Amino acid sequence: MDNMGKMVEELLHELSVQPLFSKHIGTFTLTNYSFFLLIAFVLTVVFFLVGSRRLSLVPKGIGNVVEWAVSFVRDGLCIDMLGSEDGRKYFPFVGTIFFFVLFNDVLGLIPGAKPGTGTLGTTFTWGAIVFLVYNGIGIKKSGFVRYIKSFVPSGTPVVLMPLMFLLEIVSHFLRPLTLGIRLYANMYAGHIMLGIFAILVTISLESLSVGSAVTGGLAFVMHVIMYGFEFFVAGLQAYIFSILTTVYINGALHATEH
Amino acid sequence: MEAIIPKVPEVLVALASFIVLFVLLSKFAFPPVTTMLDGRAEKIRESLEKAEETRIEAERLLEEYRVQMAEARSEATKIIEQGRTVAENMKNEILAKAREEAEAEKLKAVEAIQAEKVAAMSELQASVANLSVAVAGKILGQKLTAADHAALIERSIAEVGSLHEE
Repeated sequence: MDNMGKMVEELLHELSVQPLFSKHIGTFTLTNYSFFLLIAFVLTVVFFLVGSRRLSLVPKGIGNVVEWAVSFVRDGLCIDMLGSEDGRKYFPFVGTIFFFVLFNDVLGLIPGAKPGTGTLGTTFTWGAIVFLVYNGIGIKKSGFVRYIKSFVPSGTPVVLMPLMFLLEIVSHFLRPLTLGIRLYANMYAGHIMLGIFAILVTISLESLSVGSAVTGGLAFVMHVIMYGFEFFVAGLQAYIFSILTTVYINGALHATEH
Repeated sequence: MEAIIPKVPEVLVALASFIVLFVLLSKFAFPPVTTMLDGRAEKIRESLEKAEETRIEAERLLEEYRVQMAEARSEATKIIEQGRTVAENMKNEILAKAREEAEAEKLKAVEAIQAEKVAAMSELQASVANLSVAVAGKILGQKLTAADHAALIERSIAEVGSLHEE
């Protein structure tokens, strides 16, 4: 049991943010998560730059995959929610979020690698970017005063106006936090779960008994199932982050209409 | 608590990589893909429109051909009917004419036969009379007077006439 506690401790240490080439984290220190974030960045760039140069009227190979991915986000997400004009206009932003989150999530599933999205530093930053961008879009579309006024729905009694305004402000500020925490928590919890099952398998292998073989077998099966499930979660979280971003942009574009 | 506080270097890397990725993708990767998608969608739309136009044109032509075929069929039936009527009329005319001609020929032949018959009868009467007189003269061995001669001829003619009638 002590052994297991030690292994869990090691797992948590392994999953914590650590400097890669130094002992302490300074302003420009490269951390383990940032390192994999940069690898995901390179992979995303290579995938899209190579794929976008292998397009043909009859799609095939990597060009086909890139086209399908772009069409999925642009048509199935942006244009569906924002309309043809705004959907096309804001697709590059939403698309960047979707593909960057997806590549990071999937990269983290390779044994030994980590998801760049498995740390709050990354997910909060992207949440903050979304916050700034959608509010910027709203202010650009309606003007600062009208946009701020839109936080209080028309028809609200005067007495309730300050409360409504406050609630709306809080709700807006909670958005980047929830975006960041949701993505981080899913990635982190998924990796903890995979790690726990891997530890169970390892411990079971150490003691040769029927009970430990059964436990180890079950833990192994669960590990495989959870590993497959994590791929699904990786795609799902990328989709949720992007769809919420699109919803926020849509809300900002039509803020003054109600 | 420290674990959940975002680390500055991570924020910087996440921010910088996101901005650079956004610029790279939106400048170099997404435009060719979206252009290809839109181009293909446009091409498919055009092809579908063209196919629809062709289908409508084909249906119009088919309808036109059907009308023309029906007209041609009705025209052919009319022509056949007219031909049949003309042929029937011609046949009737020819038959009537042939019948008339045959009737005329027959009449002419009957008249000729009748005339021949009358002529033959006259000739026969004269011959019979002369022959009778000669035979009678020889049988009787005597000369007949003019009055006897005449009476004998009359009687012979009457006898020959009655024979002919029988």
